[in-house]
Amino acid sequence: MDNFQKYLNGFRLRLFFSLILENLISVGLIYLIFSYLNIGLGKTLIVAFLMSLVLSLITSLILSKSLTFPTKQLQQAVLRLTPSNNQPVSAPDTNKLSLGKELVSNLISQIYQISAVASKSADEIERTKYDLTKDFMANSIPLPIFVLDTNENIKFANKTAAKYLGMDVSDLINKNIYSILDMSFPNNNTFDAWLNNAKQNTANSSNQWERVKLNIRDQHPALYFDLSAYYNITSPEGYCTIITIFDHTKQYSQDDQSISFVALTVHELRTPLTLLKGYIEVFNQEFKGKLNPEMDSFLDKMRASSDQLTAFVNNILNVARVDNDQMELKLQKENWNEVLNQAIDTIDLRARVRGISLQREIANNIPLVGVDRLSIQEVILNLIDNAIKYSADSKIIKIKSHINGEGLVETTVQDFGRGIPESIISNLFTKFYRDHHNRSQVGGTGLGLYLSKAIIDAHQGNIWVHSKEGEGSTFGFTILPFDKLSQEQKKLSNDELVRSAHGWIKNHSYYRR
Amino acid sequence: MEENKEIKKILVIEDEHFIGELYTRALNNAGYQVKVIADGVEALSEAQKDYYDIILLDLMIPNLTGIEVLNILRDTTKTPHLKAKIIITTNLEQREDVKAEIEKKADGYIIKAELTPMELVEFLNKIKL
Repeated sequence: MDNFQKYLNGFRLRLFFSLILENLISVGLIYLIFSYLNIGLGKTLIVAFLMSLVLSLITSLILSKSLTFPTKQLQQAVLRLTPSNNQPVSAPDTNKLSLGKELVSNLISQIYQISAVASKSADEIERTKYDLTKDFMANSIPLPIFVLDTNENIKFANKTAAKYLGMDVSDLINKNIYSILDMSFPNNNTFDAWLNNAKQNTANSSNQWERVKLNIRDQHPALYFDLSAYYNITSPEGYCTIITIFDHTKQYSQDDQSISFVALTVHELRTPLTLLKGYIEVFNQEFKGKLNPEMDSFLDKMRASSDQLTAFVNNILNVARVDNDQMELKLQKENWNEVLNQAIDTIDLRARVRGISLQREIANNIPLVGVDRLSIQEVILNLIDNAIKYSADSKIIKIKSHINGEGLVETTVQDFGRGIPESIISNLFTKFYRDHHNRSQVGGTGLGLYLSKAIIDAHQGNIWVHSKEGEGSTFGFTILPFDKLSQEQKKLSNDELVRSAHGWIKNHSYYRR
Repeated sequence: MEENKEIKKILVIEDEHFIGELYTRALNNAGYQVKVIADGVEALSEAQKDYYDIILLDLMIPNLTGIEVLNILRDTTKTPHLKAKIIITTNLEQREDVKAEIEKKADGYIIKAELTPMELVEFLNKIKL
């Protein structure tokens, strides 16, 4: 027998007994009134009718409460679970039930179950809606976006990001960002430097980078972009870093091609220069000493001029590199005396043809330095070249080098020429800057000091000038002994090629292994 | 002096006639045997004879680029034997990717405008053959 049948039977039984009881009482009353009061049949019926009316009223009042109590309990259960109901409703208590206890308990527990399921699906719908919105938004933004966890692993990447890298989203998830994005930054302010710093701070932080180069495997042309990153200290669900990429490959690689324009110009200058130097050398070999002294000095001047032109061509190329953030220096352990003397030897002829002597005062206790030999020699050449240009009638240039008080290798180039007005000293190291008063008397493009500063900066050194009008100028710079280079810089110096002044020969051939 | 008796042979792949002329003169004076070829295809088949000790390879040459020549000479399926050291001689600044390719495959690299022919000879004398 199921619970409803039980309830129905109980209901019927109660109704049946109540009606029987009521009818019996009514019949008994009619009999009593008729037998003892003798008021006649008509009046008796009226009195009996009124009494049965009262009785029915009492019965129905008593019965209805017990019959509807289960329904009340159900109502209580439903009202308690209705989300829009704000009135407090006490919990149904099935123990108070005498009729349909099993049925109502069962129904109430089912109502509770339905409600639990309903509220769960509502939550799920809400969450799905949120996920869909998030995915939809992330995927409809036409910018590559990556979300990283605290270990820099990719937790989310939108479709644009995958497409940008030519990969599938599934290839990106859970990979370390640095294994996916091999980025080169224009300077030391790199993404990982910022992130490490951000992690140590207690506040959220964000940063932007420009001209980031993305090296892609398989020799694809590099991509260029601006980068924006946001670090969230509270990192909900561990998603703490958001990276957005703003692609500028077209724009920035065009800048790249501007260096190839420079490269082409340089190539066109170098070819005749190669020939000029070659034939001057032939003349030198064949005729030096056989000509009169004046002709000999003309030959020297030709050679000095072709050297000067070579140096200038290299300056152009290097300035283009600096401007495009493409200057790459490889700092190596070098003997400073040797590097400095070789540079001075190179420019000695240029000084001599102008009657200037280069005097060297180089300390012999200078430790091995960490320099990019070619670049640092360009700095020396530029400073001496400047000194030659501004020497006016003075015939001496002093080149000194020693260890200074801070343990740095300090090198100075001092001329005794016209000097530099104080008003323009602060502009000297900017591009194309030249002293306007001297422009008509002195050649040069104003690239040399700009380039020298960039090279010395890259060596983590300092470059400066002291000058007094009428007494001459001293340009100086510092470089670091090799032992003071950071580990990172030393790593860069691990190079299997032996670079000489104007080319390289392989130390141990790739193909001989 | 015995070891110097063996004459070293140099193939100069160079399309600028006067540079070829200057290099030939300087290298002959230094005791090298020199052949100059301007055309890329012709130079490649000459180089593949495996006769030379040193190959000077310009990068801008007609019919084949210097990089193509370099790649073929370093491809053992196309050039099974090559004892020559390959020295790139150029006046062109390279893109970074090309530079990496050259550093991998060539034995040396010079900028022509930086060296006089005599300095080139000094440079080549440093190569261990």
